[in-house]
Amino acid sequence: MRRFEYHEPASLAEASELLLCLGEGAFVFAGGTDLLVEIRERLRRVHHIVNIKRIPGLDELMISAEGGIWFGALVTAGRIERSSEIARLYPNLHDAVRNLGSIQVRNRATVVGNICRASPSADTIPPLVADSAEIEIFGPGGTRRTALAEFFTGPGRTTLSRGEIATGIRVPPPAEGSGRVYLKHGRRKAMELATVGVAVSLNRSRGTCSDISIALGAVGPTVLRAPKAEAMLRGAVLSPEMISAAANQAMAECTPISNVRSSADYRRAMVGVLTRRAVTRALEATA
Amino acid sequence: MKQPIEMYINGEARSVTVDPYRSLLDTLRGEVGLTGTKKGCDVGDCGACTVIVDGRPLNACLMLAVEAGGCRVETVEGLQASPDQLHVLQDAFMRHGAAQCGFCTPGILMMAKSLLENNANPSDDEIRFGLSGNICRCTGYTKIFDAIRSAARQLQETPA
Amino acid sequence: MNKPHVPVEARRAFTIVGQSVRRNDVLEKVTGEGLYTADINRPGLLFGKIKRSNVAHAKISRIDTSKALALLGVKAVLTHEDVPRFLHYGSPHPRSASCTRDQYILDDKVRFWGEGIAAVAATSEEIADEALDLIEVDYEELPGVFDIDSAQAPGAPLIHEVGPGSNLVLPPVRVERGDVENGFAEADFVLEGVFEGGRPVPAYMEPNVCMADWDGSNKLTFWTSTQTAFMVRGSLAEVLGLPLNKVRVLVDHMGGGFGAKQDLFQHEYLCALLARQTRRPVRMEFTRAETFIAGRSRHPCRILLKQGFRKDGTICARDMKIIYESGAYGSHSPGVTTVGTNAATSLYRCENVRLEGCAVYTNTPIAGAFRGYGVVQAYYALDIQMDEAAERLGMDPAELKLKNAVREGDIAPSGHPIVGRGLEACLKHGITAFDWIAKRTETPRNDPAQPAIRRGWGVGCEMHGSSAYPGIREQGNATVKMNEDGSVTLLTGAAGLGTGAHTALAQIVAEELGVTFESVSVVHGDTDVVPWDIGAFASHTTYLVGSAAKIAAGKLRAAVLARAAEKLQTPTEALDMVAGRIFIADAPDRGLTVADAMGPSKGIPADHLIETGSYTPTKSYSFAAHFVEVAVDIETGLVDVRHVMPVHDVGRVIHPIAAAGQIEGGIQQGIGHTLTEDYLIDRTNGRSLNAGLVDYKMPLSMDMPKIETVILEAAPDPGGPWGAKGVGEDPIIAIGPAIANAIHDAIGARFHHYPITPEDILCALAAQKKE
Repeated sequence: MRRFEYHEPASLAEASELLLCLGEGAFVFAGGTDLLVEIRERLRRVHHIVNIKRIPGLDELMISAEGGIWFGALVTAGRIERSSEIARLYPNLHDAVRNLGSIQVRNRATVVGNICRASPSADTIPPLVADSAEIEIFGPGGTRRTALAEFFTGPGRTTLSRGEIATGIRVPPPAEGSGRVYLKHGRRKAMELATVGVAVSLNRSRGTCSDISIALGAVGPTVLRAPKAEAMLRGAVLSPEMISAAANQAMAECTPISNVRSSADYRRAMVGVLTRRAVTRALEATA
Repeated sequence: MKQPIEMYINGEARSVTVDPYRSLLDTLRGEVGLTGTKKGCDVGDCGACTVIVDGRPLNACLMLAVEAGGCRVETVEGLQASPDQLHVLQDAFMRHGAAQCGFCTPGILMMAKSLLENNANPSDDEIRFGLSGNICRCTGYTKIFDAIRSAARQLQETPA
Repeated sequence: MNKPHVPVEARRAFTIVGQSVRRNDVLEKVTGEGLYTADINRPGLLFGKIKRSNVAHAKISRIDTSKALALLGVKAVLTHEDVPRFLHYGSPHPRSASCTRDQYILDDKVRFWGEGIAAVAATSEEIADEALDLIEVDYEELPGVFDIDSAQAPGAPLIHEVGPGSNLVLPPVRVERGDVENGFAEADFVLEGVFEGGRPVPAYMEPNVCMADWDGSNKLTFWTSTQTAFMVRGSLAEVLGLPLNKVRVLVDHMGGGFGAKQDLFQHEYLCALLARQTRRPVRMEFTRAETFIAGRSRHPCRILLKQGFRKDGTICARDMKIIYESGAYGSHSPGVTTVGTNAATSLYRCENVRLEGCAVYTNTPIAGAFRGYGVVQAYYALDIQMDEAAERLGMDPAELKLKNAVREGDIAPSGHPIVGRGLEACLKHGITAFDWIAKRTETPRNDPAQPAIRRGWGVGCEMHGSSAYPGIREQGNATVKMNEDGSVTLLTGAAGLGTGAHTALAQIVAEELGVTFESVSVVHGDTDVVPWDIGAFASHTTYLVGSAAKIAAGKLRAAVLARAAEKLQTPTEALDMVAGRIFIADAPDRGLTVADAMGPSKGIPADHLIETGSYTPTKSYSFAAHFVEVAVDIETGLVDVRHVMPVHDVGRVIHPIAAAGQIEGGIQQGIGHTLTEDYLIDRTNGRSLNAGLVDYKMPLSMDMPKIETVILEAAPDPGGPWGAKGVGEDPIIAIGPAIANAIHDAIGARFHHYPITPEDILCALAAQKKE
């Protein structure tokens, strides 16, 4: 561990000002499950920690079939996991948080924190991107909202500028007859960082796939959509052959790298397998 | 700068003054003097430091002590009701050979306590899932599963 | 040899041996009160940290500690310029053939990425950590060798000045029996294969830790997590120039070792020196990453195995060359090479054998002792090739293994005859209990409910010695005291790694003495107090120290009975003692308690009896056959081990639950070795790539299969107490080939390496398609 100064602002405005004043070595701290590890493993030079836990209003979690989800920056993965409404309406998000770290970690880690860390392999990002979630950001210039898909600029990088704090996530309500799936590939059945993560959300009306989004994790600098694969399925009556063809297309659309967890080739192959399985299961879920 | 905090550790109010960069784990083991909670990795991967804070199990290495001010903290030292009265889980762990080197045991006991509090009759899959953040390198887990199943049965017959 | 002629069958029915009594060290483990080394505090404690190199092979041209020393709270900094230059063994058996004298406390040369180059003591861990960054180092980099081939290439840079040269740790080990050329000439077919093993690590849960404190008389007290307290004492004394009675090593509870905690890891010497310099106690605790970088792994290896077979399944010749990668230092390479190479003489009978074993230095982290000690690698190759032979012969692999199983009278790897027919018993039992034939012949590989899944069944075999004989002539010791109230104290130097060894020893003492288990307490872990011990390794504690304890308890029984005879006015021979009561065998109503025998009575003062036992064993072999079911996902390549039935022969089981616990834990590690665990080193620069518990993937709770453990008492060995043999290392050996063979059964692809990754599976399936 390294020594650092600790701050507990009482409001977003105060937190934002602190981050601006303290400069580069200051970091927002919510769950801390990534930041403390990065400090210990010397991956990040941290001189100031700005704990936002005392700021009122950031721990809200609202969920309904009509209004979708809103959750604040302090909502832990564990709270999302334990919400039976989310498990019912957004099984993709439920499965993603259920596969994130351990129960102990999930009782500390926030979903917004997982998002802001901007890891290409973050479990929570693919289902939220597939469901067209928006992220709300407080900053010196006021509050702004942006599509989550546009929030990431590279591995570990986002559009957040100094003094800005992500305050929450909004997910649109699920459409009638929709199916949503998140599949994660790892070597073990738990405690894994995704080798590949695939989220599929699709709507079915009158037997056709009226809309679909496919989000791919850990196979590019950010979580990617697979627009060409989606286009092959959108508006079609889905057959196994078609789903396989779209899965092959998704393989062509991703840009994986090789690292200690897997080779690029294997990741690409898993995009094919997982996309096929995820679309098939999402389709079954609409029935 | 050091900060004074008060925690309720195993039901007892404890005041300590801590550096803001000190983890709850180091504080429990150091300033508080409760060394039953173990440090196996210090980065949240092994579960040896599992404690229960305000009713939820978490890794004490990934929480700052300053954050625990005002919190109820349960550690392995608080499991037994009295020196002569072990928790059902402790007894089951001894009978079933669930502890070998014992280094993971305090964390697993706390995780199992939390599991049984939330689910009095867990299935085998639920026990496995509940322990997925606790590494045991000695037992292959089989005896730990046996012990938790047995403790669950016993708790159902004679609730603690 | 010094084998007592203990009749294998008991002189009476067992009352304590064979019972899963409550372990005498476990209450402290479940209450959190058990003290592990890092739990012990001292007033004025300083925190030590090690600065590690960020290059793999270099001369240190400059090292400047001034800025680190200037940091408030830093009390001392040591570099190679400040410590004694003493070439030491690093490993604990300096008088044996098992290790290599090639290490300095700190050197001006770096031989692997992450080697310690300086040490700091400070008033807090954070300050010590910050001080490491303030130490300035300039390196003159040297070309490195990062695998077996480049280390052996002509003109390769040499890592050490000592040793036989050519980056060899020791001269090649050669074993030859029979006439190999003639054997091959008689063969109907020959199988040949190259096998490769990865770099699994023990990953014990307790990171390495020690604490040093010097007293006013210049005596060092040293707390450490070790399997070999007396060896730590010996090495510290030798390197620091102290007599043995000026070094006291203490170890109470320890959080696993699995063999690796036999070594000294550099920090022990540095911790002692920092404490001496600062005149304050110093604790040094590894981070989890350091347990990888500066710990010990299994030896990566390459094996060339060629065997000739007759049509009836007889093996007529075996030729094997095995090369172990030692990493930057020799550590246990001589022992591992000798034991691993010799192992290939046996398991499956063959009269004509030619074996060669080498160990090679590379600029990578150090390979050392780890459960299965060179044998894991050798039997992985040997057993898989047996499976291939069965396939070629159209025979059931279990039948072929049974036909060739080593048995009574065969010459063991240690050079003396095998006792009993343990391996055959394990195979026969498993074939029936696992329903092997039906599973292999009648069950479809496809699972209709899961179209991507293929199921397969495999069997793997092993044998492993209890004790390090003949490499080390071991000695086990025990002191047993009968207190005047009839309670018993056993003093032992055997370490408590977590296996339950102290419980087994107390059971043996209680059984032999004729007292209750609860009346025996165990004192251990203090080199100033307990009898000398070689350390807990080689699956030998129950076998070796158990025998010594039994000898001591037997003598004590005689002494107690003699005293009781005096009190009862009967001849000693007439007396028996059971569960702490002494009585006349022919008139069981006439007797007294041990407490009464020991306590005072008119004219006879209370007494306290002490006896010791020493034992020098040869070796016994334990056996196992593991039966395994796997499910392979042919789209992702993921392998799920669903069911394991380990069948073990352990001679005489002392504590069934503890023995089963050893077996099941070994299976967990073996599944990891075979499928997911590999400590990866960048072969271009020697850097560690996955020194942590997320990317070093051990099987966890959800990954473990159903395990149905079977323990047989098929082949008791007269060298162990009532025939007991070791069990610690065996289970990790058989599981690997069993899984590889089961994968072959599922998908028809052979793998000659571990770990077998999902990607390997997919590549093999793709290659099958091409054919």
